[in-house]
Amino acid sequence: MNKRKLISLFLIICLALSLLSGCESHVNAPAAAGGESSGEAGSSGGPENSYRVDTLKLAGGADWGVPSPYLNVSRGPGQAKMRLVFASLLEKDETGDVPWLAESWSFEGKDYTFTLFKGQSFHDGEPLTTEDVAFTIDYFRQYPPVTNSLGAGDGFIVDSYTIIDDYTITITVKEADADTLSNLGSFVILPKHIWENVEDPYTYNVPDCLVGSGAYMCTGYEGATGSYEFTAFDGWVNGKQAAQRILFVPVSDELLAFENGEIDIASMPADLKDKYMGDESIGFVEKADDMGYKMLINFEKLPEFLDISLRRGVYAALDRQSIVDNVFRGMGSVGSAGYVPESSLFYNENVVKYDYDPELAREVLGEKGFEISLLTDDAADGISIGEIVKNGLEAAGMSVTVEAVDSASRDDRINKGDYDFAIVGNGGWGNNPPGYMRTLFSDISKYTGTNPASMGPRGYSNEQMTLLAEGQLKETDFEKRREMFKELEYLVSEEIPLFVLGNQSSYSMYRKDYYDGWMKTYAYQQAEQNRLSYMAR
Amino acid sequence: MKRIILIALALLLLTLLFAWGALFYPMDAKLPSGASLEAPSGEHWLGTDNLGIDIFAQISGGFFHSMSIGLSTAVIAFLLGGALGVAAGYAGGRVDMLVEFLINLFLSVPQLPIMIVIGAFFGQSSLNIICIIAAFSWAPIAKQVRARTMSLRKTRYLILARSYGGGLWYLFKTHMSRDIMPLLAISSIAVTGRAIVQESSLAFLGLSDPLAKSWGLMIARCTAFKGIYFTEFWKWWLLPPVFSLVISALLLRLLTRALESYWLEKE
Repeated sequence: MNKRKLISLFLIICLALSLLSGCESHVNAPAAAGGESSGEAGSSGGPENSYRVDTLKLAGGADWGVPSPYLNVSRGPGQAKMRLVFASLLEKDETGDVPWLAESWSFEGKDYTFTLFKGQSFHDGEPLTTEDVAFTIDYFRQYPPVTNSLGAGDGFIVDSYTIIDDYTITITVKEADADTLSNLGSFVILPKHIWENVEDPYTYNVPDCLVGSGAYMCTGYEGATGSYEFTAFDGWVNGKQAAQRILFVPVSDELLAFENGEIDIASMPADLKDKYMGDESIGFVEKADDMGYKMLINFEKLPEFLDISLRRGVYAALDRQSIVDNVFRGMGSVGSAGYVPESSLFYNENVVKYDYDPELAREVLGEKGFEISLLTDDAADGISIGEIVKNGLEAAGMSVTVEAVDSASRDDRINKGDYDFAIVGNGGWGNNPPGYMRTLFSDISKYTGTNPASMGPRGYSNEQMTLLAEGQLKETDFEKRREMFKELEYLVSEEIPLFVLGNQSSYSMYRKDYYDGWMKTYAYQQAEQNRLSYMAR
Repeated sequence: MKRIILIALALLLLTLLFAWGALFYPMDAKLPSGASLEAPSGEHWLGTDNLGIDIFAQISGGFFHSMSIGLSTAVIAFLLGGALGVAAGYAGGRVDMLVEFLINLFLSVPQLPIMIVIGAFFGQSSLNIICIIAAFSWAPIAKQVRARTMSLRKTRYLILARSYGGGLWYLFKTHMSRDIMPLLAISSIAVTGRAIVQESSLAFLGLSDPLAKSWGLMIARCTAFKGIYFTEFWKWWLLPPVFSLVISALLLRLLTRALESYWLEKE
């Protein structure tokens, strides 16, 4: 009997030990690049921590890819993580461009000169010089990364560069326009000593691919659970990080996790506005009209819809107010048929407006007997919007099958053109100026197969729209540029190459007493994705 | 016997209530009929969901959705499990070895993960859900039936009947069905109950038709609503499908148990 007890005790201890070791390997998952330097950084906080906070915790749970320029997921959260690890020349704050890797910059005609901060190194200790900047330009020309502000192929904006010294470089562009500085300021710099030997960056997935020069190093990533760990990089010279570590932790319910103090920032559900707005200890970042949903028609598969009257019929079938009331819970607007949301400086109030008119829709679509599939993502909002759209289109006489898949698969299918109608939601609609208008509506610059969030309608082209979308970029006078945007919006609202379903406003909320550095830039409202939110300012 | 009647009566009442809800209740189960998230009232007995669709109408529709999936699964499991079980038990030899191997295979693999993988692979539809659940439901039935058939095969009256040249179908019909059918029927009812829960699980995980008005999907949609537990909405949006699911599965389980003990007593 005693022997049996001993054996069971032994087995229990073994089991407990194996569980413990399992936990450990789970948390510390794949140690990222620059293992040695990460160890140093870990101890640098030491007993006297000079960071504003030890840790900033955010809701994880979704895999946004390896935070490396060629492996991150092309959506905002994927890019943001990559941009913590990889630095660009400039950054944006509330009002304009600010230094990031470049201490100063100037431009004259097509020449843009940047001077780097001295003493900046990569996470593995190698110094960062203009050689790396030049190398990155050449490398991106050959292998466009996931997010690519330099353009690709014939659209590559850089003509040449001149290295003046280790810290100064002049980049000459093919054509200077209103966005050039921003584009040159935002591509991330690769370490030449690592990437010069990489022939296929798209499959280069070894720890080295995480060596950047950003303010934070990626010290933990586990795709399956959507966990990320970023640690402040000691070698960062442009200011001080706000937190020693940033953690993206998987949570089952974002709000409960926020209430329990498991995460430091969360989105506020519209129904709980009163509860939280009355709480003095909680701060907010308002994201007006920043999230938007649109419906795409794949004109390549359904060329019938190139007929404008059918598109008007489709718009008339959509009860967009119901999306705002029921899905956005009243926080948002039906959006503008001209795409740019109402709260933008660039909004044109004279765009064509389409009312919900089921009878008109039935008149136009009723006899046609269309049978289509509607692709959406499987998040609660995506399915609810899908249901409202389906109800509207079916009431008008179409037969609709809704397919709800995870958002990455939805994006993938849209990129490949494998859909009839598709619903896409994304943030960044509140960006000013609305640079996305070009990638959506210009036949020349239209994204195809990269990112459905700013991808143009497949199988649709319009010369006048292209002229306006391209023309606004070359216009450096603010007022004139705004007028061109408005003209473009009007044309879009008249032509409806895609259907704006609604703009959602939202709030991020955080505990003021713990950390209140969350910010939005003049161009981007997602506080959780802005690098300056993680810097002591 | 009294217990069986009582449980069957409760099930009948539940069915009638939901039948009334599906056929005569004035609200639609698919289209909005009120404002978003209305609390229960005379007009909307159990309130409305976020899109303004009546909850009672959805629950009623969900009952038949779940029941039809449960019953279809049970029929498939009944036929497949019965046929393979009898064939294996009666024929023995290689057939038995093969069937036994299949039974053990399906009994030993972890069901839910495999169901999720298959569901994700074949796409979202109710038919796929039926096939997937049925594929994992026949094995326990076949195992029982096989054992029963093996013991029956050795009975003298069956040996005699066989020596007179009785075929398998004849033997089953006249000599074996009396023993095997109750076993099959009871197992099938158990399968129905299990299938309802499994269907809800798969729907909850997003593997069923995304807009089907099933209980699992209602639970999924409700729990995905941001901040639901800090509002009152969960009381009429979450509780009804949960209770319906629990009560239906419980009644079917109790019925199975009652039938089992009744049959054992009778034997």
